[in-house]
Amino acid sequence: MSGPLSFLQEYGSEILRLTIEHSRLTAMSVGAAILFSVPVGIILTRARKVAAPVLAFASIIQTIPSLALFGLVIPILIAVNLPIIGFVPAFIALFLYALLPILRNTHTGIRQVDPAILEAATGIGMTDRQILWRIELPLSIPVIMAGIRTSTVISVGVATLAALIGAGGLGELIFRGLRTINYKLMLAGAIPAAALAMFMDFLLGRAEIFLTPKGLKTKE
Amino acid sequence: MKNAAVILKGVSILGILFLLVIYTGCMTKNSNDTKSVSIGSKHFTEQEILAEIMAVLIEENSDITVVRRFNLGGTMVCFNALKTGELDLYAEYTGTGLVNILKMKAVNDPDKVYRTVKDIFAEKYDLAWLKPFGFNNTYTLTMRKADAEASGIRKISDLIPYKDKLLPGFDAEFMQRPDGYPGLRKHYGFEFGKKPRQMDPGLMYKALQEKGVDIIDGFSTDGRIPAYNFVTLLDDKNFFPPYYATPLVRNETLSIYPELKEILNRLSGRISTEEIRKLNYMVDKEEKRPSAVAKEFLKSRGLI
Repeated sequence: MSGPLSFLQEYGSEILRLTIEHSRLTAMSVGAAILFSVPVGIILTRARKVAAPVLAFASIIQTIPSLALFGLVIPILIAVNLPIIGFVPAFIALFLYALLPILRNTHTGIRQVDPAILEAATGIGMTDRQILWRIELPLSIPVIMAGIRTSTVISVGVATLAALIGAGGLGELIFRGLRTINYKLMLAGAIPAAALAMFMDFLLGRAEIFLTPKGLKTKE
Repeated sequence: MKNAAVILKGVSILGILFLLVIYTGCMTKNSNDTKSVSIGSKHFTEQEILAEIMAVLIEENSDITVVRRFNLGGTMVCFNALKTGELDLYAEYTGTGLVNILKMKAVNDPDKVYRTVKDIFAEKYDLAWLKPFGFNNTYTLTMRKADAEASGIRKISDLIPYKDKLLPGFDAEFMQRPDGYPGLRKHYGFEFGKKPRQMDPGLMYKALQEKGVDIIDGFSTDGRIPAYNFVTLLDDKNFFPPYYATPLVRNETLSIYPELKEILNRLSGRISTEEIRKLNYMVDKEEKRPSAVAKEFLKSRGLI
């Protein structure tokens, strides 16, 4: 009927717009999750008693099927007088979903720092703050970044469901395609989403190299 | 590095502030400085076509701007958004209002269903059911025409002798709803010998066509029923409640834009079952866009 070129001509601008919406939604919710989870993950290593329940709570959120989470936040949003369709509910659901990998990896990353190094640091008179910033954080960067990368890739996928609550994104094309058994539309949503996940992971990989202390870098 | 803790605190405070800004930024739901209404639709073809028809009609006949919020995931999302005011209107089905939203028992008389939902919605939710578009998108039991003719099956009761032979394929909602398979079984007093295959509604028709299943819960307005040479069985014991598609609007919106009521009621009785089947088919099979199909329809009827 129509070749790929005319398809792109018809849908190109829409694909671009939805890709931008998709990246914005993912970047903002993962960004907020990083701002929240990294400090909290650090605090949890200092407050061991609350660590277990907090991590358990984050795990419970993760076990809720993503499709159900979008529905389950609705009554909560109504209760606090927030919109139930559009960007906000999607952002909140994705934020909750992105928490666990970052939280757990930050916590684990700092906990796995060799106690001998910490002892040596205390021995030469470093304060707690110095230990955190000069020893623990630099040494756990690879683990923390792994958590952030996991969250990001998951979020790009889960964000396709945002289309069901009016937040747009590439899920719009995917669902329209599914409903009408139109493979072109499904792929027009799925391919940019996969590319986006790979691209974001690539950027975070570069950031990881930049943040990792020289001494820890493995030679390529 | 003395500032380290300050930075850490700074980052956490920034994070909290960031969330707060988003929260407050979102509290202001709709600014009312321009004339606008937002129209919703559930995530299936017919809904999108109806929403487009209403949107274009409003745009062409008033200076109101229409915000389109389509493809919302089901009745729950649309109805709740209508209650909170994030949507001003969408097309709802009378039977869905009665059975799913009000949780009342299914009734067969279309007028009675319409009057019941109209009265209760006005009182309970301050929402208005305008005049129905004209077609009834009800569940049906649908088979391949050749099979039905060969076995002489024309109505649902005729299925009883064949109940152990036929493999049903039903969608998740039909498997669950009281006005779906659970109620049908009780009402007609039989069930299929084979456990129904549960599948996506979009796939059912394809599965029936390719003989993966023998009987499905087709929607009466689906264009694939005539296109694939299927027949819908007569509901001889009047089980399925009527689902007349109707604009459901906030009364608050109607008081701000009184002209809306008259504009939308121009569609009253204008879309027959055959008509909506044709429109659905154009989108589902001919890959036309709902917006184009809606415009074409309105033009052909002299409505724009």
